[in-house]
Formats: sequence, structure tokens, C-alpha cells
Amino acid sequence: MEMVKAEKLIFEYDKRDKDGNIIGANRAIDQVDLDIAPGSFIAILGSNGSGKSTLAKHINALLLPTGGTIWVNGIDTKKPEELWHVRQSAGMVFQNPDNQIIGTVVEEDVGFGPENLGVPTSEIWQRVEDSLRSVNMLEYRNHSPNKLSGGQKQRVAIAGVIAMEPHCIVLDESTAMLDPAGRLEVLRSVAELRHKKKVTVIWITHYMEEVICADKVYVMDQGKIAMKGTPKEIFSQVERIKSYHLDVPQVTLLAEVLRGRGIELPAGIIEPCEFVVEIKKKVKKNSGSKGDKGAGCMYLNSENDKRAGDIPAIHLKDVNYTYGADGPYEKKALCDINLEILHGQMVGIIGHTGSGKSTLIQHLNGLLKATSGIVYYNGEDIYAKGYDRKKLRTQVGMVFQYPEHQLFEVDVISDVSYGPKNQGLSEEEARVRAIEALELVGFSEKDYHQSPFELSGGQKRRAAIAGVLAMKPKVLVLDEPTAGLDPKGRDGILNQIVRLHKQTGITVILVSHSMEDIARYVKRIIVMNQGGVLYDDKPSEVFSHYKALEKIGLAAPQVTYIMHDLQDAGFSVDTHVTTVEAAADELFPN
Amino acid sequence: MGESPLIRDITFGQFYPAQSPIHRLDPRVKIVCTLLFLISLFIQRSILGYAIATLFLALVILFSKVPLKYILKGLRPVILLLLITVSFNLFLTRGEELLVQFGFIRIYKAGLTTAVFMGIRLMYLILGSSIMTFTTTPNALTDGLESLLKPLERIRVPVHEVAMMMSIALRFIPILLEETDKIMKAQIARGADLDSGNVFQRVKGMVPILVPLFVSAFRRANDLALAMEARCYHGSEGRTKMKPLYYRRRDYLAYGKMVLYLGAMIVFGHFVDFDV
Repeated sequence: MEMVKAEKLIFEYDKRDKDGNIIGANRAIDQVDLDIAPGSFIAILGSNGSGKSTLAKHINALLLPTGGTIWVNGIDTKKPEELWHVRQSAGMVFQNPDNQIIGTVVEEDVGFGPENLGVPTSEIWQRVEDSLRSVNMLEYRNHSPNKLSGGQKQRVAIAGVIAMEPHCIVLDESTAMLDPAGRLEVLRSVAELRHKKKVTVIWITHYMEEVICADKVYVMDQGKIAMKGTPKEIFSQVERIKSYHLDVPQVTLLAEVLRGRGIELPAGIIEPCEFVVEIKKKVKKNSGSKGDKGAGCMYLNSENDKRAGDIPAIHLKDVNYTYGADGPYEKKALCDINLEILHGQMVGIIGHTGSGKSTLIQHLNGLLKATSGIVYYNGEDIYAKGYDRKKLRTQVGMVFQYPEHQLFEVDVISDVSYGPKNQGLSEEEARVRAIEALELVGFSEKDYHQSPFELSGGQKRRAAIAGVLAMKPKVLVLDEPTAGLDPKGRDGILNQIVRLHKQTGITVILVSHSMEDIARYVKRIIVMNQGGVLYDDKPSEVFSHYKALEKIGLAAPQVTYIMHDLQDAGFSVDTHVTTVEAAADELFPN
Repeated sequence: MGESPLIRDITFGQFYPAQSPIHRLDPRVKIVCTLLFLISLFIQRSILGYAIATLFLALVILFSKVPLKYILKGLRPVILLLLITVSFNLFLTRGEELLVQFGFIRIYKAGLTTAVFMGIRLMYLILGSSIMTFTTTPNALTDGLESLLKPLERIRVPVHEVAMMMSIALRFIPILLEETDKIMKAQIARGADLDSGNVFQRVKGMVPILVPLFVSAFRRANDLALAMEARCYHGSEGRTKMKPLYYRRRDYLAYGKMVLYLGAMIVFGHFVDFDV
């Protein structure tokens, strides 16, 4: 018997006009057939709005089909008397770690499910201990969930599901809000669980790297199953994947680019080792050494944009910051930071959660005051008496993580005008600014009067970024601007930022945990660790320390690893490569 | 990332994890005793009574293994309230013995004593109840309340639901505080001015913070409801407890000690007249 089986599954919800009258139906799931064997690891891929989360909610009977049938462990989910059986059989882990933990202590949260099922007390304790151990969180059993990292919170949520002894776990984008270290943590826990507990895993995501080890991948697009097969079969169709607004792993993309240049490589390469083997077959001798061109040139020399006497846009001198100074919870967040950021630079800041990068950027516009040390903007001390910090904030625009959460006005244009109005501009001037900013982020005029709460995720974020751009900042700081977006939304935002940088020469500081993004867009990377600057150099140099980066919970882009693997296999290739295009050029120049 | 300084300073009402005899007590004992302690503060007004209460409170704090510094920090948010009450008592109580006269300000001896004792009373009130919250997880606290209020279910008070709501509220208070801080920073970065202007302007200035906060709270509530349903939550019916409450020896002993304390308070604080 299949663990999950669906036949011609349809789900529709009402389409409403502005006054709330029903004017038709939107089909979120359209004739979906599923066939999931017990014990298998299934991945469901799809961009935002493809229907994948709606499908997930059917497996747990949180939604009931409009048409067709879905059976979970042989039970038709439509039968009301079986509801609790279905939910117990198929546990669900959601996206936001904070919003699914009910208990105020880890163990009490894990016990919540068994309590609801009416499990006797002594057995609840047994199950709680057992499931916490299975995700390696037993030592945190008495902790408050608020003090845990994102990855740890998700592991608690998984333990909470496991304690209900399900046959199947559905993880609905459970890694979307985590940093790379947290994502890996959750992925590993789930893989381990699958072997220990023999549960079926249904993994829903838009991160391609996570589905490589799946037994079977379903790709969803517009409510339909667009593709299904093994990861190899799926990723051998790069163009088709891209047409569904999805990504492929860098190694697959590299192989595809090389194929385009006439190198005969098999389709569906999904792991670096396969790639190295294939390249070995193709090339008897190496393609020629490029010499040591990447050796030790600093970002300043390479960019030629520092002229003598130039005043840097932002200059941090011996900056220290301590949270809760002199209290019992004193925590040093920044120590002895010295940094110069020049006008017109595009700089990336990376670091794992808690490395101090968010604290650092809050110094750039004076939101936090350094415990000691000085921050200069255009050569002026921003902590000096009488310095206009309100004006500084319009000069150094700050886009926080999930900036769409700060939207509040009735329509987009009023929201974007909020900043300019605070600057003291008149209603009209503010409007002009707002329109300019909205155009910069690619908004069309018809959306100006939409409520910001009705936009799609990517649009909301662009509206929020426009809200900062409307103040005409000279420096734009973005904290994780792509967090939680699907590949299409991510590329949209990043390309817009790059275009803006090129058009207006605005200085951009990009905080991110996505190494692939950073490597593609910036010329200088600052790596933060334990409140200090670990590296400050161009991407190729920074990523050449990939081993050290791994130790602090970061990683280099996948292509950098491939180049190192090739070097280890006896090729003399330049390992200072950080993008797919550069790797292709290095291996087989066009 | 780090929490903001604003959030870190609030310790009142937070659980402090430790292994202590007080932590181990049944939450019902702690609730009932805290209530009795609060009452005891108001039934007497003699120095000896206060001495006994101080001794009792000091012992409880000592046994609870919660650092005194941490407990005192919990007083910080209520200092203003404390000062107002004390100064009202100090300046407005009229008595016979005039101590200080400075212009229209007159301080009488009676005013001084009421002010001092009122201050102590309020402080002990807060300390006493915060010891309860420091040593009891919010869940245990709501379990305790639920169990104590169980009889009310007969008159159709939804005790379980209210208790569940309380425990969820407690879980989300720190999260929402942090969120408020984030939104405030984001709006300040967009040039919001939250500290100046008249009352009307300030209230208006809060809109860009309150709207996103409410939106976020609703979003979280929605998510949480879904997560609870997915984990088979369906009210109190057929539900077992991971940590069911039953009294042990130490709980009866605690009640015994409480009765002793109350007795001492009534005898020495009330009937034996050491009045000031």
C-alpha cells in the first residue's frame, strides 16, 4: 500500500472581487496524481504559488480536496471520523520556526502532540526523550525555545512531530528561513531519522541542493505536476527546470554551459564528483595553466577606485559594541572593527547567525551607538554632539531582513512616501520621489494603489525596498534581501539592485548567507566571525579559504569546490573561481 | 544577531531555569502561597510583621537559587509606579506630627511611615509574585491555574481554553517584543521620529509601528493555529498531560510552612501591638 496516494486531486478556492463577492474559482491544485511508497524520500519542488504548500496541507487533512481523492496510509482524508488518524499518520513541519512551537520549554512542546492524542503520561515522557534524542536535541530539553537558533527550533518542531509516531513527515519549506548551517542541520537530522525510524519523508522546497539525495522528485507548476523522476532525470532538463522559475545546482549548470560550448558531457550531472570523473574522461591533458594570476592583489588595487585623499563613505574606527553592558547577560557583539567603505563600492558582508553582522550594519546609520570607537560618515563623526543623525538615516538607507513586515499604509504609494515625508518634503515632492523609487524597483503604475498586503511576496519586498530608496540614500544597506524568496524572486531583487548600483553609482552593502549570490554580484567581501572581521578581500581570495570558512559555518560557492576537486584530480586549474561563467571560461575558454 | 537592549532588560514574569526546592514545588502550591503572602502583607502594619515578611521572603529567594540581581532587575519597570505611590502617600497624608515644611510641601510623620510601608508593601508584592514566575514555567503556571479553577467549569467557564490562551500569550510575549523592536528600528531608519512632538503627533507616529505589529501578530496566530491543528489539538477532551499535577510530601510541607508563617504574621503582626 502506498503511504500517500492521490488521484485527480483538485483544490479550488473562491476568487473574490474588491467587495468580497465571489466571482469565480482559483484552481490551486489541478488534477494531481501522487504515488508515494512507504519509507521513501520524496521532494516536491516549485516556485512560490506553484501549489506545493497547498498540496502539503492535503496530506495532513488541513485542507480537504474540492475534487478527486487523497489517501494517507490507506485512509481517505475526507472521512471526518478519521481526521485524527490522518493527522497522526502524517506529521507536518512548517516554515516559520517561531510560529509552530507551542510550549515554552522544549520538552513540553514535544509533549504537546502526544498529549493531544491521549497518550498515557509515562509513555509521553518516553516518547519525548526518544524523539528529542533522535534529532540530537536532548540536552536542550529544559531550554526555552526563544534562546535556540533557527535550525535548533526546527529540529524541536521535527521532534514534536516524531513524538506522535507518524508514518510520514511532511516538511513544508522548513528550511526557507534558515541560514546555510541551519539548513544542513535540519537536512541531516531528517536523513538520519529516515533510517532510524523508517518514516516516509516528503520534503517541500525551492532549494535545489536539498533534493539531490531524494528518491523521487516532483516538480510543480501552476497547480500541476510538471515533471517527476529521479533527481538525475529532473536535472538533465536544465532549460525546462528554468522555465518553471527554478534553479539547478551550480555543477549541473556548469556542465550545461560546457555542453553549450561543444563539450560532450552527459546530461544530469548533479554532484561534483561525477563532474570531475566526466572531465577526466574528456581531457587527457589539462587545458593549460593560467599561472598564478589570483595571487594576493587587494581589492583596492584591483578596483582602482581609491584615489589619494578620497574620503571614504563610511569609516569605522576601533568600534566595539556590547549588549547589556555591565549586566548579567553582557555579550560582546563587536570587537575592534576597523573598516573603510568607499563611495560607489558594492560590498558583501557574510557571516553565520550571531557573528555580529546585523549589529555591525546597525552602526552604519547610528541605530546603535558603539560602546567605544568612532563611526565616520563622509569624514564626519556621527556620534558627535549636534550631528544630525536623522539626516544620516536618509543618507544611509537601511533595508532590514524581511522588510515587507514594516509596510503599513493603505496603498503602496503612500507607504513609499512615508520616508520622504519624514524628511520634511511636501506631499507632492514625496509623491514624486515615491514614483521614482517605485520605477527603480520595477513597479508598474497600475500597482501603485494596491494595498501592500495584497501583493505577492517578491513584490512586497520590492515595495519595501522602494520605501528606503525614496529617501534618495547615498549608501544602501540590505540585510538578507533575498531571504525566503524563490529563485525567481531572488534573481529579480538582486538584478534590480545591481542595475541600480550601475545606474546611480549608489554604494551598496549586501549582507547575505548565500555565497553563490555574493560571489556573483560583489567585488569585495567582508567575512564576520565572533564580532570581528576575519577576511576583507575580493571573492576569489576569500573563498580560497574555504576550509576556514567551513569551520565557522560558512562555505564557498559550489564551483569553487569543483575547481579544488579538479585540482586534486591532477588538473592545474585556477581555484580562484567563484562563478559558473568563470569556471566554464577557465576549463574550456570560449 | 543578538537581542536588543530593550528586550534584555525585562526580566519580570520570565522563567529562570534552575534546580531548587522552590522550582520543584507543585505550581498550585506556589500560586496559593503567593496569594496568601500577598494577603499577609495587607493584614498587618507593625515593624515586627514586616520583619517576619522580610525574613520569609529572603529565605524563599535564597532557596529559589535565582540571583538577587536578576530579581531586582524585575523591579525596574515598576519603579515609576512605586515612586508615584510613595510620593502620593508622603505628601498627601496629613497627620499630627509635622516633620518638614518647605513652602506648600508638608511632610507629616504619619505620611512618612505610610509612604515607607506602602513602598515596602508594593515592593514585596512584586518580588513575591515574581518569585513565583521565576521558579515556575509558564506552562506549569497555567496548568496550576487550570487545576485550581477546575470547579468553575461546572458553571461553564472555559477554564482549559483560557489556560491555553494564557500559555500561548506567555510564549509569544518575548517574540512580539523583539518584533516591536525590529519594526521600530526599521521605521526609525525611514526617518520616523518617535520621541518628539505633542501627544497627538506621538500617537500618530505609533501607527507605522502598530499596524505592522498587528499584521504580524495575526499572521503568527494563523500559523500557530494551523500548527496546533496539525498536531491534533482539539480542546481538552481526551487529552492527557505530560506533567499531571499531584501533591507530594514536599508540597504538603510547603503548605505547612505557609500556615506557620501566616500564623506568625497574624499573631505578631496584628495582635501583638508593636505599632509605630
